[in-house]
Amino acid sequence: STGLTEDQKEFQKVALDFAAKEMAPYMAEWDEKEIFPVETMRKAAQLGFGGIYVKPDVGGSGLSRLDTSIIFEALSTGCVSTTAYMSIHNMCVWMIDTFGNEEQRRRFCPSLCSMEKFASYCLTEPGSGSDAASLLTSAQRKGDTYVLNGSKAFISGGGDTDVYVVMCRTGGPGPKGISCLVLEKGMPGLSFGKKEKKVGWNSQPTRAVIFEDCIVPVGNRLGAEGQGFSIAMQGLNGGRINIASCSLGAAHASVLLTQEHLTVRKQFGEPLANNQYLQFRLAEMATRLVAARLMVRNAARALQEGREDAAVLCSMAKLFATDECFGICNQALQMHGGYGYLKDYAVQQFVRDIRVHQILEGTNEVMRMIVARNLLQG
Amino acid sequence: QAIDDDCNQTGQLLAAMLDWPQGTFASRVQLEDGAVRVEREVDGGLETLRLRLPAVLTADLRLNEPRYATLPNIMKAKKKPLEVIPGAELGVSGGSARLKVLQVQEPPARAGGEKVENVTELVEKLRHCGRI
Repeated sequence: STGLTEDQKEFQKVALDFAAKEMAPYMAEWDEKEIFPVETMRKAAQLGFGGIYVKPDVGGSGLSRLDTSIIFEALSTGCVSTTAYMSIHNMCVWMIDTFGNEEQRRRFCPSLCSMEKFASYCLTEPGSGSDAASLLTSAQRKGDTYVLNGSKAFISGGGDTDVYVVMCRTGGPGPKGISCLVLEKGMPGLSFGKKEKKVGWNSQPTRAVIFEDCIVPVGNRLGAEGQGFSIAMQGLNGGRINIASCSLGAAHASVLLTQEHLTVRKQFGEPLANNQYLQFRLAEMATRLVAARLMVRNAARALQEGREDAAVLCSMAKLFATDECFGICNQALQMHGGYGYLKDYAVQQFVRDIRVHQILEGTNEVMRMIVARNLLQG
Repeated sequence: QAIDDDCNQTGQLLAAMLDWPQGTFASRVQLEDGAVRVEREVDGGLETLRLRLPAVLTADLRLNEPRYATLPNIMKAKKKPLEVIPGAELGVSGGSARLKVLQVQEPPARAGGEKVENVTELVEKLRHCGRI
């Protein structure tokens, strides 16, 4: 909490309290039984966590990207998977809030901010992941509707959520031919694939989203035709900070768990904490965590201020924090010895849950592409 | 028992002035017809009283789970007006001048104990310092 304002410390406190009481006791059960904790998320939404950086006039909390990062980091200490889903939800509401017209904002945002309804972000397809701009889902204009055909893959919340922010092709190839449409569950032609079985992120369902002559009113398009890719990427800048923040929370919790374990566990007649190698490793973990946290918070500030280098900083922060934090959690598991491998201990869930942060919302390889392009473009 | 002076007197004084029954350190409160059932945290455990209304209750921390502050409320908190009302406006005179601190002292430093060899010696020592 260094360098935070009084208000930010209060937000952090509420989020940490909520995480400890409403999430941490259940994270193992949610993971094992693959429960999507709707009631808990709605409780979180009542506190303002449903639309953290969405404008208040449609039900959001109107906070900054830095406030958001602090909150997601804190919530993650209770359950990474649920917090990560909440961050995706928040990203979708922000997109509608920012790029939607007044009618769309009023139609969608209030019920999303309260989490009466849940949202999913649909960009990735079976044939286009890192090469997102090559997406194929087509949206043919027919009068005052679009007819969608195609499918999306790996959609978080897919099938259980109500609102789908879908990037689809309305024009020619490449990014400029992509538009952003908001779909709702129940629209004819919208269906879902089977629920995927994952290593982690089990408190949120992941499914393919399928469009078969799916009819969407033109009034559901966010922004202009051809603006969709830009909207998607701007959403992801914030999304990357949020995902990185979730990794921070997991690493933080893991460091605390390790600290406790080292003082309690004895071998060779002494607590593990007396062992210099372990002391040094713990110190390294803590140091890397602080470094990662600073990267993420710095990027959050840059994005909030609309700085030119914000997108690059977000990519750097996502790359650095997700990698470092996975290393920290993995190391924490190692330091728990055999116990670290048991599901009775939380540390393995932190490892499993944050592993995917190095892959989604832009793989860490794509993060390198973004940074390199920025450096070499001159 | 306010956290500033730890006096544990306000509720009790109020009940005496009003001549109303009191249920202090309440950890559970159940309203009944014209009465209230109060479970109190006392040194020996829990005591349940039934008080005719109106009554004065003071809360123990086990009475409720505090609500979470919401994000919008945290932000509004800074802007809430803090109104200062002088006592005279409410018809109160004197105020804290009615309390005079006579003395504040630390508890006596803990003296060392003594080890005894057997029960006879223990009884003798206890008699010697007037404990029995």
